[in-house]
Amino acid sequence: MALERKLKPDRSIGGAIIPISMPIIFALIAIIFEYTIALKVAAVMMALFGLFYLYMLLRTGNFHLLVVVCEAFFFTFMFWFLSERYVFGNWEGQRSFQVAMMIGTITFGILLIFFGINRRLQWRGREVFELAAESVEETGDGYTHRPRPVGRVEYSLHELRGFARFAAKHMIALPYISAKSITLVPLKMGDEFFRLLGLLGDYRDATWVNFDVDGEVSVHIAQKDYLEYREPLAFDRLCQSFGQLFIEFLDLHSKGEGIRAVDRMDELKIPFFS
Amino acid sequence: MDFRTAAKYAALLSKDYAEDIFALLVNYQAVSASEVAARLNLHIKTAQDFLESLTGLGVLEKEEVLEKKRPYFRYALKQTRILIDLDLMQVKREPTDNSLSIPIREKANAGARFAAARNDVTIASVTIWSGEGRDRQERRIKLTNPQGRFLYHLPFPKAQPLSVAEIMRKAAIDESLAAEILDLVQLLDKYGVIEKAA
Repeated sequence: MALERKLKPDRSIGGAIIPISMPIIFALIAIIFEYTIALKVAAVMMALFGLFYLYMLLRTGNFHLLVVVCEAFFFTFMFWFLSERYVFGNWEGQRSFQVAMMIGTITFGILLIFFGINRRLQWRGREVFELAAESVEETGDGYTHRPRPVGRVEYSLHELRGFARFAAKHMIALPYISAKSITLVPLKMGDEFFRLLGLLGDYRDATWVNFDVDGEVSVHIAQKDYLEYREPLAFDRLCQSFGQLFIEFLDLHSKGEGIRAVDRMDELKIPFFS
Repeated sequence: MDFRTAAKYAALLSKDYAEDIFALLVNYQAVSASEVAARLNLHIKTAQDFLESLTGLGVLEKEEVLEKKRPYFRYALKQTRILIDLDLMQVKREPTDNSLSIPIREKANAGARFAAARNDVTIASVTIWSGEGRDRQERRIKLTNPQGRFLYHLPFPKAQPLSVAEIMRKAAIDESLAAEILDLVQLLDKYGVIEKAA
């Protein structure tokens, strides 16, 4: 039986905006100025892209992102190298360059497609929102900006920190750790650039699940995310379900079965760019 | 002494010229408003209002005097001590079983904004907007920690309402703090942020 999606189809291009904009910028600069400048700009863009993903890798601990970092720095080097050597004719080492470029493009292309299809490079916010809404059948709105306490867990701060690292590594949510609490902010693809760069404002205004030192669990769902659901789901039930989902993930993680949480998200088969 | 009477005393005693007028009243047998005004360089209406207010409070007594054809009043001290004894507990709102058992929840689309405290399971403040158009006003209510915890556990709109006592229990708020919780409930009810279930 096909799973009924509770979220509206993802029509945002946030996740693809950077990869799509790079060739456009490259083409524009090449037309307005010249190829060598366009290649240098492309190299700088790839370097910035690589640095951003390196930061994301360090922030999450997801080593699959290393592929994106290496790919970005590989193309940074190749574009810069080409911009220095570019002439309308043959140059020494041109053949080796072409071979290296082809091998790099194919290798990174295969790896990116493989990890992308297996959703190892994407933030899993959509899966989290879908799973949270799975058990909520009632509708009736009732949205409020207030956080909702959803229960209590009996885990030590050490265990909670372990779970936060797990959530970050599998890109389930971005953790914000303080002395008194651990807040997990699920991100949807396309939001990660602005959230990680701190351009989306205070994370307390986003959707989050908070675990405090006493084990109290509370949930806040941002209005923007709530409006992403096709129907005005009963907000109280949705918050409860959202909190319970993370408590289940925490229980699975504590039993050493955290990968089952990832399996549940994989089963949703969310499209590549969502 | 009730709060209103104490406030009247306080208002009179806080006047710049109060001590000077009392000095006249203590040292003279009786004085008229025009004598006080002339002696202290005050407007006669100011002096008269002050003396009348003290008479109203029973500190002075006045006697009508007829001089030529115009009657006027002379004021004399009735007592030489003013004792302000105010029991602050008289304004305490004692929570009743009834007030604690009212089921409440947040009202849908109340238009209030709740600011969650950083690193704590509590609401730090509530911002309420009232009025329309250019008359629209913003009011920010800063909450005490127990009030913030109470609001954190207040049922959502459309959720099952809970009594004030139940919410206090969920939020682990001591019963002795019921008065400040009820004060908040009253305020939020006034601004339409919460609704009482029938």
